[in-house]
Order: sequence, then C-alpha cells, then structure tokens
Amino acid sequence: MIENSFNRRAFLKVLGWGGATVALSGCGNTSVEDGKEFVTSYVQTADYIIPSIGTYFNSTCAQCDAGCGIMGRVREGRVLKLEGNPKSSINNGKMCGLGQAGVQAHYNPDRIREPLLRNGDKGEAITWEKALGLINEKVGGVGAENIAFLTGGVSGHVKVLLKNYLDALGSGHHYVYEAVAPSIMRAANKRAYGVEMPRLRLDKAKVILSFGADFLGSWISPVHFSQQYARFRKADNGERGVLVQVESKMTLTGANADRWLAIRPGTEGILALGLINALAAAGLSVPGDVAAVVKEYTTDRVSKDTGVSVEHIGKLAALLKGRSPSLIIAGSAAEGYAHGSQNAAAIALLNQVLGNVGKTVEGSFSMPFPQMTPSAGSRQALQVLNDNMLQDKVKVLFSYGANPVFTAPASMKLKESLKKVPFKVAFAHYMDETAVEADLVLPLNSALEDWGTVMPEYIAEGAQLNIRQPLMEKLHPGTLGMGDMLLALLKQRRPDEYKGYEDFYSYLRNAMVSNKGALGGANADDDTFWEAALSHGMVKLAGSPVNISSHISANGLVVPAPFVEDSAYPLHLIPAVSASLRDGRNANEPWLQESPDPLTTIVWDSWVEMHPKTAAKLGIVEGDIVEVASKSGSIKAQVYVFTGIHPDVISVPLGYGHEAMGRYAKGVGVNAFKILDPVFDKETGELAMHETRVKVSKAGQRVIIVKDEGPAGGNQMGRKIAVRMSSDKVNLSKEV
Amino acid sequence: MSITNLLENWSDFRQQHPSDDRPHREYKWAMSIDLDACTGCNACSVACYAENNLPVVGKEKFAHGHSHHWIRIERYWDNDGREFADQGAQFLPMLCQHCESAPCETVCPVGATNHTADGLNSQVYNRCVGSRYCNANCPYKARYFNWYDYPTTDNVWPEPMEQQLNPDVTVRGKGVMEKCTFCVQRLTVAKSNARSEGRSVLDGEVLTACQQVCPTGAISFGNLVDPLAKVGKQWMTQQVELNKDKQAKNAAEEAAKVRGYRILEELRTYPSVMYLEQLRESAI
Repeated sequence: MIENSFNRRAFLKVLGWGGATVALSGCGNTSVEDGKEFVTSYVQTADYIIPSIGTYFNSTCAQCDAGCGIMGRVREGRVLKLEGNPKSSINNGKMCGLGQAGVQAHYNPDRIREPLLRNGDKGEAITWEKALGLINEKVGGVGAENIAFLTGGVSGHVKVLLKNYLDALGSGHHYVYEAVAPSIMRAANKRAYGVEMPRLRLDKAKVILSFGADFLGSWISPVHFSQQYARFRKADNGERGVLVQVESKMTLTGANADRWLAIRPGTEGILALGLINALAAAGLSVPGDVAAVVKEYTTDRVSKDTGVSVEHIGKLAALLKGRSPSLIIAGSAAEGYAHGSQNAAAIALLNQVLGNVGKTVEGSFSMPFPQMTPSAGSRQALQVLNDNMLQDKVKVLFSYGANPVFTAPASMKLKESLKKVPFKVAFAHYMDETAVEADLVLPLNSALEDWGTVMPEYIAEGAQLNIRQPLMEKLHPGTLGMGDMLLALLKQRRPDEYKGYEDFYSYLRNAMVSNKGALGGANADDDTFWEAALSHGMVKLAGSPVNISSHISANGLVVPAPFVEDSAYPLHLIPAVSASLRDGRNANEPWLQESPDPLTTIVWDSWVEMHPKTAAKLGIVEGDIVEVASKSGSIKAQVYVFTGIHPDVISVPLGYGHEAMGRYAKGVGVNAFKILDPVFDKETGELAMHETRVKVSKAGQRVIIVKDEGPAGGNQMGRKIAVRMSSDKVNLSKEV
Repeated sequence: MSITNLLENWSDFRQQHPSDDRPHREYKWAMSIDLDACTGCNACSVACYAENNLPVVGKEKFAHGHSHHWIRIERYWDNDGREFADQGAQFLPMLCQHCESAPCETVCPVGATNHTADGLNSQVYNRCVGSRYCNANCPYKARYFNWYDYPTTDNVWPEPMEQQLNPDVTVRGKGVMEKCTFCVQRLTVAKSNARSEGRSVLDGEVLTACQQVCPTGAISFGNLVDPLAKVGKQWMTQQVELNKDKQAKNAAEEAAKVRGYRILEELRTYPSVMYLEQLRESAI
C-alpha cells in the first residue's frame, strides 16, 4: 500500500505547483519503481524550461542547524549546485563549504536505498509495507512508557507530526540530542539576558572580545556572522572593528583576530572578572555588588592565573573602555568545563558592565506557532536515555537525525546499553554507526528531495519559517521523507484524523494554507500563497519582539581557581569542532574531506595539535604518531606542531574516525569523542567537552602529513605573498 | 588552427600585456581580493569544486601533490619568533592570476595555453599534450595536471555522483593541464546575453563561483574596461595599474596609504588579480 501511494503521487504533486515537469524528471531518474519509463519531450516544455539553461528553486540547507536559504540550480532534471538564496536574511545569498557539499549528501553512492531488517549480522531488504507494519506491531506490543524517540534538533511540521505520534502512542519520551550543542550557552544567556539566543550585532560593535566562540567557523550561524563580520571590519564610515580572541586552541575566528591570546584552559571566567576590575579601576562605573566580587581579581593575579600578560590585560581594558559599544561573546571553549556556566556568567557580566546589552546584544523574537520552534538539543538528553536503557525502561527506540553510537563518549558504553533495547529503529541516510546497531533501518530522502519546514534557532533579522522542497525527483524510489514516515505511522494510530492526507506534501500544504493569515498570506488565495511560499523558499512571520533584560547582578557568581595539575594526565584535550566536519554527520562528503583544515591545511585524516614547546619537551616532531590517552580510552594520531595552541593543551578535531557510514568517512582518522571523560557542567548537567585530561606518548611511528601547505610550513621565506599592514596606516573610508 | 597559422600570426594569438597601441577593447576581466575580509573559510574552494567539476583525488594522490583546487587558501604565519601566532594567520586565496604576460603561455609547445582578447589566460584542453612546461613555469603554482583519468577512477565520481557534474564545463581526461578559468562558462553566457541586447556586460551581471559564495564578500570581479565596474574603481583607488610592474605604493613605501598589491609583481607577469593587504590593529 505504502509503496504505491507515496512515490509517484508525491512526484506529481511537485509538478502541480509550477508545471515543472521537465525540471524534475531528468534522464536516468524516471519512475522505474513501477516498471515504466517516462520520457519527457523537450519539444513541449514549460515556458521557463530551456534545455541547457539552469532553473533555480529555493529551499533550505540541511547541512547544519543554521537554516540558510539555498537556491538549487536544476538542469535537465538534476540539481547541480547549491547557491545561497539572496532573499534569506540569514545568509543573504552566501554559503559555506559545508552547505555546498549538500549535493554530495544527495548524490552520495553510500545512501541506503531500501528499508533493511536485521537478519543476524546482515540487513535484509524489505518492503515499506512490511517495515511500517513491523513498527506498528512492536509499538503495540509494549507499554507506552517503554517507547523512546531520540532525535537531533527538529523544528517545523516534522516536529509537529513527531509530537502527535508520540502523543498518539502515549509516550512523552522525546530525547533531543546534539553532540556539539550550545546548551550551556543557552542556559547562561537565559539567566543573564532573559533570552536563550539573543541576537548578536557584530556589525554594530567596535570591539569584539570572543572567549573561544568560533563564529566564523562552526558556531551557531557562521555564514550570517561572517557577513556581519565583514561590516564590522569595514563599516560604511571606514571604521574598522577590532577582534580579540581569547582561547586555548586557535579556531578559524582566532586566526582572524587582531590579537589572539592563548589562555590557560578553563580560566576564561577569571580573565572576564579581571577585566571588569581593570575597567572599574580605569573609571568605568560598576555596580557595588559587582565591584565587590571582582575586587580580588587584580591584574597581577589574573595574569598569573590565566597566562595572559599584564600588558595585554591593560591594553584590552583600555580598548574596551575607549571604544564603545563592544561585544563580548562566550563560546564553547569557555563553556566546556565543569564550571562552564560560571565562566559564561562571568563573561556575560563583562558584557553587561560595558553597557553592551541592548546595543550589540539585542532581544529576539518570540515565534508564533510554538509547536514548530526548534527543540533545543543537549548532550544530557543522551545521558538520560542511556540511564533509562540500562534500567530496561526502553523496549522500542527510534533514532532520527543523530548518530549517538559515534558521538557518545566510550565511558557511556552506549553500544552495550543499546543491546538491552529489543527493537531499535533508525531513520538514516547512511549505514552509520547507529544504523548498524539497529534492527530496522528506514532510508530517508535526501534534503534535496524532501518536503518540510525549518525554523532556525538563531533568528537573524526577523522571524521566518523556511521551506524545504524537492529540487528534483527522488534518486532512489525506495527512500521516504521523515514527514511521510511519521504520517504513515500516525495513520496507524489515528486513522480518522490523518486519512485525509495522502502524503506529507498534502499535509504540509494544507497546514500552511489553512494558516496563511498568520503566514503573511491573508489576502492571497490558497494557490497564490502556496506558490509564493515555495518560490521564495520561506515565509516571513510576525514574531513579537522579546525584550532583553539588562539587569546587572553578580549574585551568586563564583569562578573557581585555576585547575590543579594532574601529574598522571598533564595535558588538556580540546576536541575541536571544525567548520567542515562538525560532529561528523557530514564526513562522507568528499569535498569536505579534501577541503584542507584552514589552520593546519591537513586533509583526509585526524591530527593532534601541539605547541612546539610541548613537542620539544616530549621529543616529538611533526608527523610522529602519538598515543593520546585519557582515563576513558586512547587514540593514535599524527602530530601537527604549531603555535596556535597553549602549551598545556593538545587538540584533536571531531568528526573523524567513523567505523561505518560510507567509503569517504570509514577509517579516516580517529574518533576523539570516544576518549572524553565523563565530567559534567555543574549547573546544566551537560558533558563538559573540554575537561578531559590526557597524556601523550610516542607510538614509535612517523608519517609524512598529508596537507596543503608546502615544505616551508607557513613561512613566506621573505617573499611578499600575503602581506599585512597596521590598520592605522590606511584610511578605509577612501576605499571603494 | 594549424600550427603554421599559429606561428605566422603569433602576435594575434598571444596578446601582450596591454600597451598604448594595443589596449583591451571591450572586456578585460580582473579580480580584487580583500585579505582583511577573507577569513580563510574555504567556501570559495568548495564552490569551485561544484562549478568546475574538480575531481576529489583522495589522500594518497593529495600527498603526491595531485590535488585539483583551482582556488586554494594559502595560510601563512608571521610569528617573528614569538611564542604564539598571536596576530592570527594570513590567509590568501590563490588562483590563476590570469597574467597579462603569462610565463606559462610562452613555453607551451603547442599553443594550448594562450591569452584571449578579454584578458583571460585560457587553456585549450584538446590541444594540450601534457608537456607540463606551463606548470613548471607558473610562479603561482596555480596549474593542475590530470595525472589520472579521474572520470574512470574509483570513487571520484561513483554512480550517482556523476549526476552532479556541471554540463557547462568539460570533464577533463588524463594528460591534460587545467586551472582557474575565471568561470569562463559564466562569462560566455553573460557576453552572449549582452551582445543579443546590443550592450556590454554590466557590472555585477556575472559573478565567478568563488565570488558569489564568499560569506564576507572579499572577492570582487569585473571588467576593468568598464568605468562603472567596482573592480576597476578598486584598482584605481589602490593605484594599481595593470600594465606597470612598479606601482605608486612601491615608490613610497613609508608614506603608503593604500593596500593594493599584486603578487610577485617583480617577475613582470602583470597579474589580473589584485590583493588588498590584511590589516592588524596596533592598539592591542
């Protein structure tokens, strides 16, 4: 039943919207599922289809959660390239490399093409009818409290259907898990500003002081922030903003800073309080209770604790005092400790004292349709699920948009816990580490062949609901969209409510059209509204502004003393979130593997970043294979020596080291998630990603690192290739 | 075009860098890249892979220097012996500089690389015999040789990945040299559209793939002949002149108020890409 009702009909619906017959049916992708070949004649085509000329369709990027608008170039029925949608206020026509690699997720040769049921060690292809029937049987056979749904961040209509399905089952167990989510930041922002995701105005700031926030690379909404950064660096009046980055391991953003300050890991909060003290001493008005808290943080003491020189603390305080407004950002590097929330609170306090709140930190919007707003993922969610699995409380587990077997630290023993769950269903694109453990694997449509709506968590300009629509016909007839699957599952439980919807497309269109008044289409007829929404790739929403709280309080703020040396594990491990690989879900896209890491220029492998001093102490040179051992496990990787890291720290990028997933990801590098120690932020309970201590020993091998930089490393050998000058020597307002 | 014809009319095929008696007529494509805006994010490079059918060669071939990134981010450190790279990195997008007096052109034994009337350094794939002389002579290392037949190499474009290939751009076979074309396929369409409307290509009408994607708008591209083009205005404000090998900036190093420069200008290659120096604040 399912087989026949979804594929062809969904396709015809797409055609219905704009007569895009030719745009969507291309050679090679005809409907072979029912044994027929449809040949579309180019003699009679829609007006706007000219063979060999690309047509653009708007949709929404699915490579990360920023929700950038994309414009797919479609030619002869195939999507060729993703470009930015100029109308999206998030990315304004721009894209990052990760986003562009979305076509490689779509055309990936390792995608799962049909539902697979476990038979011993193998997956056996079964029909959709059987797969969905099996789910019906399994969820019917257990108590509602024993059903759990694990997902990554979800929003829009898929989130609505998911909630309805869980309601229909009577189970409220929805675990939203994101391996590198900014959950400590959300909590800290909520407390300091009253909003979890205030809007940051980099473009209005004259000075940005970032404590480890990689806003140009991998943090929250990098393409949006990059555009603001361009205006910050070169304002219309020619003023140039100053960026200071404080972190223990250089990020892409740190590499673009006017001053990059290497700080002892975990002492970010101390520096923030020290800066408040220095600012107060320089005459900035600071409330009494704050002054009382910071008065012990003298510059000398702060310098000793943090490793940042007295000179730089002084200059930084003078810069912040002299150039207002500024913007202080706390990133994952400051928040990844057991006292991460305290660090974040101290950094927020610095922002408040400087009077930036309301100027460069702005309120957000509350969204209409709260049922569609993004569910904020955390690492703690997985911890809770794991505990429940261990106590045999989970009998049926669904997993969608997350790969916990890959991203969970080894100490969690997630694989063993999963073995206690009798029936596991994975909605997946690839046979990734989690899908391999599942009993039933349901193949998903790619984001370029699926319907959906997306509400980004970070709201750039105004509230908007992004539309995701197919850019071409499905590559593989045996895949389904998440919305279609949820709808089919809901039909099993609540047939009367959902039988009117043939597929997710009809559900979505109906849901959108029946709310068109609130979606900016009050005066349009249904078809006009819907076609406009699809054509724009989004609808603007009337969000009501949420004001930001500017109440300054140091109440309860305590920042612990710097860490104590651990002689057995003398180094700190920073698991780095790279702009390309993030948590590893896109590791099977070869453009990303071959895109050199911006700082080390390494491709196709993991590496261990190490300061030359540390390397010299350990007798290590570039290319040495070392064993990095924590209390929770060990990994082996090649060493890259460079000066963008604190000597007490080593760093290994995340996202590598897949044991499954596909030909481009499997066996490339090592998985740094595995050796993270189970240390948690005291206030939010989140896994503290930067708390792992390690020891490094040579493993006896040496390799030549595969990287893009030449034998001279980053040295120009006296040639003037990349040239740098002091900003006071030039007048940017005179430039074009 | 026979080789005899080529040799007899050499000056017609090989455009010298412009001089007063041989100026560019309708178009002279040029670029400027602001290194203070460039963050080194690599989006331009991925865009180029998508637009120009660049093969992903894999770890082993990358190690052998066989990578095909027509635009790549070079990353330099300027530590001066300090303990940390405390002024960050210097990122530089390196691509074919489309030199007006290109060292690669003079050494090609078969005239496979030559200069177009629009000022592009063009590579004719089906004339290239793979001598790689051009590669050896390029001071910017901007040329990439097809050591393998990538379309038939495992895991370069495995089915159905080949469906992503841009039909507007040739998929190159083994033994052929290739490099940045300034997205000539886009330029051709824009010129053709403009010609059919009896006008020249307007500024902003055509974007290169790298320029289009750049999140900070660091790359400008356009027609230097067009007085309205942003790129031309940039060259003018920066006092960088296409047909000179010493710019105003070099003359008065101390008093320099401009940050435009061309790479390895002393080699008299007359590049069509101008870079704007990265800036660093001295107050911190």
